[in-house]
Amino acid sequence: MKKNLTLLPAILLTTWLGCGGNQEATAPANTGVNGENAEKTKGIIAYTPQTLSNPFFSVIGDHIRAEAEKNGYEILIVDPDYDVKKQSDQIDDFIAKNVTAIVLVPCDRLSVGPAVQAANKAGIPVFTVDAKCAAEGAEIVGHVGTDNFQGGELAGKAMIEALGEKGGKVLILDLKRAHSCVLRVDGFKKVINAHNKEAEGKIEIVSELDGNGDRTKGYQSTADALQAHEDLDAIFAINDPSALGAYTAVKEANREAKIKIIGFDGQLDGKQAIKDGKIYADPIQHPDKMGKQIVQLVIKYQAGESFEPETLIPATLYTKAEADQDPELK
Amino acid sequence: MKNLDTGKLLSDYGNVLVLLLLCVVISVVTLEEQSPRSTAAAENLATIIVGDAGKDANILILVRRGEGQQEFANTLKNTLSKADLNVIDTVVGTPADARAALEKQTEPLDVIATDEHMAAFCLEQLPKLAKKYPTFANTTAYQPKKHLWPNFLKKENLLNVLKQISVVAIIAIGMTMVIITAGIDLSVGSLIAFSGVITALSIQQLSGGADPTTGHLVLGCAAGILVCALIGMGTGGLVTLFNIPAFIVTLGVMFIAKGLAFIFSQSAPIPIANEGFAWLGRGSDLMGLPNSVVLMLLLYGIAHVIMTHTSIGRYIYAVGGNPEAARLSGVPVKWILVFVYTLCGLLAGLGGVMEASLHITGDPKSGTLVELQVIAAVVVGGTSLAGGQGKIFGTLVGALIIGVIRNGMNLTGVEAHMQSVVYGVVILIAVMVDQLKNRAQKTN
Repeated sequence: MKKNLTLLPAILLTTWLGCGGNQEATAPANTGVNGENAEKTKGIIAYTPQTLSNPFFSVIGDHIRAEAEKNGYEILIVDPDYDVKKQSDQIDDFIAKNVTAIVLVPCDRLSVGPAVQAANKAGIPVFTVDAKCAAEGAEIVGHVGTDNFQGGELAGKAMIEALGEKGGKVLILDLKRAHSCVLRVDGFKKVINAHNKEAEGKIEIVSELDGNGDRTKGYQSTADALQAHEDLDAIFAINDPSALGAYTAVKEANREAKIKIIGFDGQLDGKQAIKDGKIYADPIQHPDKMGKQIVQLVIKYQAGESFEPETLIPATLYTKAEADQDPELK
Repeated sequence: MKNLDTGKLLSDYGNVLVLLLLCVVISVVTLEEQSPRSTAAAENLATIIVGDAGKDANILILVRRGEGQQEFANTLKNTLSKADLNVIDTVVGTPADARAALEKQTEPLDVIATDEHMAAFCLEQLPKLAKKYPTFANTTAYQPKKHLWPNFLKKENLLNVLKQISVVAIIAIGMTMVIITAGIDLSVGSLIAFSGVITALSIQQLSGGADPTTGHLVLGCAAGILVCALIGMGTGGLVTLFNIPAFIVTLGVMFIAKGLAFIFSQSAPIPIANEGFAWLGRGSDLMGLPNSVVLMLLLYGIAHVIMTHTSIGRYIYAVGGNPEAARLSGVPVKWILVFVYTLCGLLAGLGGVMEASLHITGDPKSGTLVELQVIAAVVVGGTSLAGGQGKIFGTLVGALIIGVIRNGMNLTGVEAHMQSVVYGVVILIAVMVDQLKNRAQKTN
């Protein structure tokens, strides 16, 4: 009995040490009484995205890491897995660790507020990437995001090009609870409406369904819409996973020759699908630039320099022509 | 004989030992240089500066804004002024404020007294500024002497750990009782979301669009908790009246409550328009202890008394140990079962209110998978899933073990998927120990 119980801590200990290995690298250098002596690091930048299982956020994280380390900062990355409670706990941990700056992709634009306020109270500057924090009284120093409305306009233009002179019937797969995705649809509709005022072949939005931003729901909703609309010509999905789900449904119904799909994001599998002709085009975001620029904001803040509190990076359109040139793809 | 006693001691308090050991290990791996921010540190720093700098030296105090920083700066200023040094300006603010203060400097500056963060600013910016402005040619920046101390053992971090486990630990009280009766309750995570949504909606309804008063907040919370207690009672009723396994009943309730939370809230978090609502989740009134932690400790005290000193406690153990024998010896088995599920629902409702308070929002997405964390805390705490045995304080220790591991891994930046692996390993080890303990008792 005793033997078993002494074994337990030993196993825990090895597990612990096995995964806490990066600790040595983060130990700061010794500083003398006067702070003049050079420190090895300038401080810690902590990053908590919505999830790391979405490549979009991990690419942002990779570029935050690269840019931060290039400029002498340490980096701490954690994964709240879409759970705002976990994210708030992580922010509390960052405060206890007394980090230099917090970079955040809010899991929920309102509920994360009290945690941001706690960081404000501790004097730690908070930055947001991609999604904004809309909680009252929560102070965000800087934001870098994608111009989602402009991205939606690009999708609209691509749709007009894809459907040609005849126009046609379009399904939208949206995600209403994400503000960024609502903006994408707004931009899309603006271009389509302007087009319909002038052009002969009208583009008609016949249905707007929830695609939940994932493959499963994107597939289900599209399958239902295909039943309801025999003459559907195209689909606009607000991100790649739901666009790929839509493709599965279209393929299952043997209508992939007729129905054009436009996605959003430019994740690797989305780009591959464009190359393979499954998706017509994507307005793509630039997570690499987002990661880099947010660190630049942190550096400017730390140096006491002035900067624009909000930077929106324009989306660019990615079609088969770009995909064929892309060295990342097979 | 003596050997046997230590064996029993270990099996009773084995998880306390594990907790202590974990704390030691985490303390070692989170050992880091700390920059003190107390007023005593400010006095020390001032004394050093007085020793180094000549009389009439020009001094600027730069401190990053934040809690307690103003006192730090004031102490510096007072101590330095008393020693006849010339404190030109005191800035408590952002790096931009610091830059502005430096750039408007006209007289030659001898010393900048700073804290850790502004020291980093000075280190980088002073050489650049010195090129532009001759006033900084001979400026030296001073910061408090650093010392080694684990991030884990900082007071605010330990309080963080307690605060973070409070919701899971409180619900785990009810879950412990349910599991001791050889049942299970999978609905508690969904009830967190449901209770939060009901609370937020009730507050909205009661205040009728205006800013809610404290009375509205209390009534709203009561509504959320009461509804969940009723749902728990219903669960208990189904388990006893229709003899359906608790796993199935609570699985059903889990889906229903989750769905209703989304329907009632129309899938969007409901904000509560009164900052006072954060009192329970984020406030700390009693000697700096967070209110949620005080509540947790209080409830554990009460639950311990119930389980060890009342007949209800004895009945709960009896029902789990051998329901037939309990029934024959006059234990009201059905009532006891209804009681534990009601209590579990009530505590889940309370957890939901605490969660809503933490975020000042009723969020239908909250509480996801919390039921598994709660069950993990109970199991790691040494309660047997077979029923009949377990200790309330064991569950608290179980929740602490999980909370401490989580906090330690976040402090050291362990990657998220590895965190999941470690949780899994801890739970498996706990169950293994539980099994071995049972086997050892049987062979005795």
